[in-house]
Amino acid sequence: MEGYIGEYASGKSEVAVNRALDLLHQGHSEVTLVDLDIVEPCYTLRPIKNKLESMGLHVLAWETRQTIGLGETGNILRAENRWALRREGDIILDIGYGVEGAKTLNLLEGAKEEANLYVIVVVNIARPMTASVNDIVSYVNEMGTVYGLINNSHLGDDTNVEIIQDGARMVTEAARKLGLPVVATTVIRELMEDIGPYDCMGNPVRGLTRFMPSTLW
Amino acid sequence: MAEKVIQEEKRVFMTGNEVVAWGALAANAEIMYGYPITPQNEIMHYWTRLAPKHGREFLQTEDELSAGFTTNGGVMAGRRAFTATAGPGNTLMQEPISMAEAMRLPTVTVIQQRGGPSTATVIYSQQEVTLTTLGGNGEGLRVVYSTANHQELFDYTIKAFNTAWKYRFPTFVLADGYQAKMRESLVMYDPAAKGIEMVPTEAFVGKEGTPGVDREPGHFRNTYNVEEELYDVLQGYFADYNKMAPQVAEYKEIASKESKVVVMAHGVVARAAKAAVEDLRTAGYDVGYFRPITLRPLAVPELREVANKAEKILVVESANGQLDRLLKEAIYGCSAEMLSLFKPGVGITAEEVEARVKEIV
Repeated sequence: MEGYIGEYASGKSEVAVNRALDLLHQGHSEVTLVDLDIVEPCYTLRPIKNKLESMGLHVLAWETRQTIGLGETGNILRAENRWALRREGDIILDIGYGVEGAKTLNLLEGAKEEANLYVIVVVNIARPMTASVNDIVSYVNEMGTVYGLINNSHLGDDTNVEIIQDGARMVTEAARKLGLPVVATTVIRELMEDIGPYDCMGNPVRGLTRFMPSTLW
Repeated sequence: MAEKVIQEEKRVFMTGNEVVAWGALAANAEIMYGYPITPQNEIMHYWTRLAPKHGREFLQTEDELSAGFTTNGGVMAGRRAFTATAGPGNTLMQEPISMAEAMRLPTVTVIQQRGGPSTATVIYSQQEVTLTTLGGNGEGLRVVYSTANHQELFDYTIKAFNTAWKYRFPTFVLADGYQAKMRESLVMYDPAAKGIEMVPTEAFVGKEGTPGVDREPGHFRNTYNVEEELYDVLQGYFADYNKMAPQVAEYKEIASKESKVVVMAHGVVARAAKAAVEDLRTAGYDVGYFRPITLRPLAVPELREVANKAEKILVVESANGQLDRLLKEAIYGCSAEMLSLFKPGVGITAEEVEARVKEIV
């Protein structure tokens, strides 16, 4: 069980979607992806729910026709999602966003007692709120219990090797100060060959296919 | 406020709403007044996270009427003040904005357009063009910048403060729900490092000295007793506005003065229009592009030249002709035929623009 948290637009959902698909491709038969974004409903898994389900994932997320106001009228936790941790197989939680978003975990049945739930903070150093080692450290310290960090540094369509490796250095340094591991550096498929299986700090590289650009609203 | 917010030029990845908050910070805005509404909420969220770190302030008011009036008050106290809203909030804010027009208050207002009429959708539209350019009871004595990408959101948020304080007309950055929520990269910079000097602010009230002895007494009015008084004041305002217009009007274009068909669009839709025109030109079509950046005032002389040279003008917008009306007024009497692709409240792709151009060439 893994929960991905982090700053608004840090890449939580992209990392979570790709992680769930990776597990599926590794042969895990039951992988459930849970949309727990009740802070910002504009970029969520909702628009790609059917596509991901057709790829073999179980996706617990609202459908557009079930919602009104897209956040304007408040958001509620989907009943099925509240019990997600009771399911069999791998559970990947996409939790948005920030410190308030991380508190969504309090609404999840069994989250406090679950020893196998690993909460991972996704960090993009091109996001001004997490753009220095000290900013990352104080950001992660606000988040409650965290298992590790992921370096997801990128510039959208303008992503290059430099920003990823800069991110690797900065996130690794922050992780060292926090006493936490860097779980991985995520890299879009197009740049994976340039970086190799490990980033410049020796952290393992996870490939990313971008799904989220097609999910606005 | 001695410290620089942005120490060095840097490429960052952000949502449009955050860009506005950072732009205001870089412009040395001192206070934001606001009331939450989708899709502008994160302007407030990020401003309230950033403001304490940089010695800036925020006041959440009880509604948009109040947010507008407190912005007016902040400006009168000499603060570089701004607010942001959308849709129904923009409607409510027209009353204080009219007051800002009447009293020549350099307020800055960021609008993230959403669907209408009324509450409609919380998502996206270009349906607040009429309201933002000409709303309120008055004559539209405002400057409205329509941005198309995150770099422009940053650039024009900074510029809006300078235009407002230089010319003393309420100034707007007009974007939309897509720009608000979209993520893309941009370069953030300190304005001074680019040679941009922030126009100094000045208190309208509470100045030093005895009014009438040491200085002119301040007498700021939005109410007049007789019609002729108001008429005289407005004549002065119109003269100032007309003198300003050629200095602030901005546009971008591609071959607009030598093409048979010219596509006109503003804001995020202009991205689709530009991509379509570039594709069509590569394929040999005789088509150009004209994008007003200021919707008020428009670049009227340039528009009229285009409208007298082109055979057809295609106006593309996510509204039912709100830009079109402004353009038609500007080019009244010119020879080009006016055609349209209107999709009120709905996004428009480059492919749709291309298909429409192919229908009319």
